[in-house]
Amino acid sequence: MKGCIFNIDAGYLEGLCRGFKCGILKQSDYLNLVQCETLEDLKLHLQGTDYGTFLANEPSPLSVSTIDDKLREKLVIEFQHLRNHSVEPMSTFLDFITYSYMIDNIILLITGTLHQRPISELIPKCHPLGSFEQMEAIHVAATPAELYNAVLVDTPLAPFFVDCISEQDLDEMNIEIIRNTLYKAYLEAFYEFCKLIGGTTADVMCEILAFEADRRAIIITINSFGTELSKDDRAKLYPRCGKLNPDGLAALARADDYEQVKAVAEYYAEYAALFEGAGNNVGDKTLEDKFFEHEVTLNVNAFLQQFHFGVFYSYLKLKEQECRNIVWISECVAQKHRAKIDNYIPIF
Amino acid sequence: MGSLFRSEEMTLCQLFLQSEAAYACVSELGELGLVQFRDLNPDVNAFQRKFVNEVRRCDEMERKLRYLEKEIRRDGIPMLEIPGEVPEAPQPREMIDLEATFEKLENELREVNQNAEALKRNYLELTELKHILRKTQVFFDEHEGGASTTESMTRALISDDPNKHMGQVQLGFVAGVILRERIPAFERMLWRACRGNVFLRQAEIDTPLEDPSSSDQVYKSVFIIFFQGDQLKTRVKKICEGFRATLYPCPEAPADRREMAMGVMTRIEDLNTVLGQTQDHRHRVLVAAAKNIKNWFVKVRKIKAIYHTLNLFNLDVTQKCLIAECWVPALDLETIQLALRRGTERSGSSVPPILNRMETLEDPPTYNRTNKFTSAFQNLIYAYGVATYREVNPAPYTIITFPFLFAVMFGDLGHGAIMAVFGFWMCYKEKPLQAKKIDSEIWNIFFGGRYIVLLMGLFSMYTGLIYNDIFSKSLNIFGSSWRQNYNESTLTTAKSLQLNPDSMDYLQHPYPFGIDPVWQLAEANKIIFMNAYKMKISIIIGVFHMLFGVCLSLWNHLYFKRRISVYVEFIPQILFLLLLFFYMVLLMFIKWTSYGPSPPNFDDVRTSGYCAPSILITFINMMLFKTDPNMRTDCDDTMFAGQMGLQKFFVIAALMCVPVMLFGKPYFIMKEQKARASQGHQSIEASAENGTAGGAPVPASAHHDEDITEVFIHQAIHTIEYVLGSVSHTASYLRLWALSLAHAQLAEVAWNMLLRKGISTLIIIHTLSTCRAACRTRRRTCACGRCRWRTRSSPRSRGTCCSGKACSPRATRAASTCTWCSRAGPPSPSPSWC
Repeated sequence: MKGCIFNIDAGYLEGLCRGFKCGILKQSDYLNLVQCETLEDLKLHLQGTDYGTFLANEPSPLSVSTIDDKLREKLVIEFQHLRNHSVEPMSTFLDFITYSYMIDNIILLITGTLHQRPISELIPKCHPLGSFEQMEAIHVAATPAELYNAVLVDTPLAPFFVDCISEQDLDEMNIEIIRNTLYKAYLEAFYEFCKLIGGTTADVMCEILAFEADRRAIIITINSFGTELSKDDRAKLYPRCGKLNPDGLAALARADDYEQVKAVAEYYAEYAALFEGAGNNVGDKTLEDKFFEHEVTLNVNAFLQQFHFGVFYSYLKLKEQECRNIVWISECVAQKHRAKIDNYIPIF
Repeated sequence: MGSLFRSEEMTLCQLFLQSEAAYACVSELGELGLVQFRDLNPDVNAFQRKFVNEVRRCDEMERKLRYLEKEIRRDGIPMLEIPGEVPEAPQPREMIDLEATFEKLENELREVNQNAEALKRNYLELTELKHILRKTQVFFDEHEGGASTTESMTRALISDDPNKHMGQVQLGFVAGVILRERIPAFERMLWRACRGNVFLRQAEIDTPLEDPSSSDQVYKSVFIIFFQGDQLKTRVKKICEGFRATLYPCPEAPADRREMAMGVMTRIEDLNTVLGQTQDHRHRVLVAAAKNIKNWFVKVRKIKAIYHTLNLFNLDVTQKCLIAECWVPALDLETIQLALRRGTERSGSSVPPILNRMETLEDPPTYNRTNKFTSAFQNLIYAYGVATYREVNPAPYTIITFPFLFAVMFGDLGHGAIMAVFGFWMCYKEKPLQAKKIDSEIWNIFFGGRYIVLLMGLFSMYTGLIYNDIFSKSLNIFGSSWRQNYNESTLTTAKSLQLNPDSMDYLQHPYPFGIDPVWQLAEANKIIFMNAYKMKISIIIGVFHMLFGVCLSLWNHLYFKRRISVYVEFIPQILFLLLLFFYMVLLMFIKWTSYGPSPPNFDDVRTSGYCAPSILITFINMMLFKTDPNMRTDCDDTMFAGQMGLQKFFVIAALMCVPVMLFGKPYFIMKEQKARASQGHQSIEASAENGTAGGAPVPASAHHDEDITEVFIHQAIHTIEYVLGSVSHTASYLRLWALSLAHAQLAEVAWNMLLRKGISTLIIIHTLSTCRAACRTRRRTCACGRCRWRTRSSPRSRGTCCSGKACSPRATRAASTCTWCSRAGPPSPSPSWC
């Protein structure tokens, strides 16, 4: 039934999104890109793809950061276009996607001010999708409570922040905890929201978000080894909407080293496969890359179904991955460091 | 005949160009526009080609030009169109000059812009400060009343707040300017972060300020925040910074403020003059650039196009010359040789370029030579598809059929004349209109099709004459063939009267040209009569149109020597059309000739209109093999002897054609393949004669061993399309009638509701005003009275008119209907069209 009326509100945008998706670079494009000798070559090749003339007005010599900025600008324009044409409940869905960028921005700004950087230097580094009005005044706050009361209370992030309010000072450790708690709350809320929408959207998005949650849990665990984060605190940071919940998370909370994490993952077929192929040796793919690859597959799969909002999320994520790939390749080209140029993650 | 009837004959040529001369030669060929180059390095990446650096330099130049153009647009300076000739592609060495010019211009402009921006920023700051000083003065004044020191101001504030009795606490304040839309969030944030311990006043700046970096006009507001203590001060300042508010020092004492304001004013004035000078300089630079910019754009694009073309070429082993492969029209080889020679001369090279014709088995591209008259029609054809190489080009026939079919639907002398005049005007003013380069898309559609519009207008006038329609009225040129013989009393009393074509009412000879104007007056059966006529006409036109199209395919089959296709495709196709639909057309003519109100032997009721069968029903019954059950008993249900048998034979024969179309060609192809297989499978290899040197062997594209299933599927699709198509197209041609009917009806509405009302009000107004003028000047009452009668009477006479049209009273009485759908009508009493 949902499928029947989906097109009334979101059909145009879904079509648009699928059109955008067709512009994502193919394997053959990547093969051409890695052959480039200079960034100018890269620009010339990208001109032949859907990116078109996005670099045409940049004076040479190009820098990697310009390419990065322009790539992001193009993506943001596309996303904003989708957002501006959307209606409920899709607009809320799209807003939810931007919340993760808002969290990143807040953390970036707080860390920056902690290190005495001027705010004007930090602002350009923020992701434009996650910018909000009060963002720049964030350095007023000295404690999480102040942060909440003065800045975040008006933003959509306020409900996520409730768990982090404490009178402690903002130091690096606390900031990390805040970031992860925020993410946990955000993921769980997004998960619930997708369930509420129901239908194919729920099917597709819950799958993706569950993976996202599990990935965070695993990464938090691995990164926490050798830090002062206690196991209890660590357990509080796990998002509880993944497939690991509850047994896997409980096991993760007890883990003491990488091998134990791997042992936990063994119980879950899909994660076991990821750990299987990962390694830190030369030529091996890192666990992070493995996770990225899995994310890409999930997002590509989202396009196999119709009449759901997951395509918008997936499109954004795939496009971000593509930006990362292009930036990676251009970095390799710019630094003449071609040995690792093939470490991008192909999408199609 | 050749070039109009079929697409041009093309040959594949190999070109050997001296490296130095290649640029000039390609430039000449580019101006000619007769050559299609083939990409000889399809596997090479865009950035690995030979002339990629030149292309990149062109890109860079284009970027600079775009920057210049943007700046020129921003200042609203008109860019001059290229006067006269479009510039030729410049020599490669000129490229360096161009680059230097653009570089210089860009740098100069950037510098000027930077200066201007700095100045503007300065100016903005000063203006903001001016506003702050002015507005804060108001704030202070409001709270002060008579006394004008901040001391008392603070006291006043504190006494407002009964909870705090701090006595002599110094209140600090900051003043600044902020974007107006940020005010609400700013205020809320201030209140939250400072827990309500600050006092904010704000006032809007009415005039928009210019943002120096983007030069947009933005609205801002002045604010002043009062607070207490240093901690709050840092906090407030942080918030201000966060909201990108600019803070300005504002002295506390009014005297200082006044002094500062004076200083600011003088500085603003100074700055204004400097700013004006900078702007002038910028303007001069841009005006100079605007004169040439279009020219430069063309030049750079031409250079870029030439290098792109050169990138398609192969380099020979010695690196001395470039090898190109291109398709050229066989007739233009001479011109191309000439152009190449010109190019060589221009470049000063001594070695002439070599142009070799190559034999190939590849399908050449279709090229139809057009001129300004045929190009629009050719584009119409291209909108449906491009014919295969050397196929018959339908464009020349479209020149007649397209405007004519349009005219069948748009038949109205008046409307057609308007259209023709418009089309003629566009054709007549062709050159000046073309020079104007109007960007409007709608205009360009009309202008591009100006000859089509002209022809459509002319044809519409012709069909309008046949339909006897001019603005939905009739012309009685030759005098109607109908008379009315009723006496006076019948005419005055009867509501509707009939005219009998058998009697004296009809003069027994038809109106010489087109429809008899009397039909305009037949209220009851005009539409029925016109429908019968137009429906038949559109089917007749349609069937002939389709037959013509099928016949054209015969020329294709003969030309390509596809004998099988003639027998198993063309003949069954044309039979199918002839036996079914052309027979229907024949029936129409038989019906027109053999049935009528006054047959030769009058007492034979079977040839009278009473017994005339419906063509549609006859045709349906023919397909269903049955006779009309509703046929009147005293009538013959056939039009001629042996009709039933003939019809049965026709239908069966037509149906027999379908399997022939379906299986004939695959069968023959299969047979041919078997025969070839038995002969030892000699593959037909045309001796691809390679060029003298370095000619890439051309892949043979003629593969005879096509998959037989594919042939079957293709033929099945083709057959289904043809059979269903001929049925549905015949029905579709009825659209000619439908749209013609719609047009006629709408024209009538337009006449009644728009034109006539407009004209009659005009007349009323005119008569009224002349009448008044007459009354005033001559003071003769009788003139007035007459005028009044005329104005009053004109609507009344219309009201009593037969058809709601303003015709003379006699026409009212003569209104009538007739029974004979085929040819009959009411009398037309007055020759004028009302």
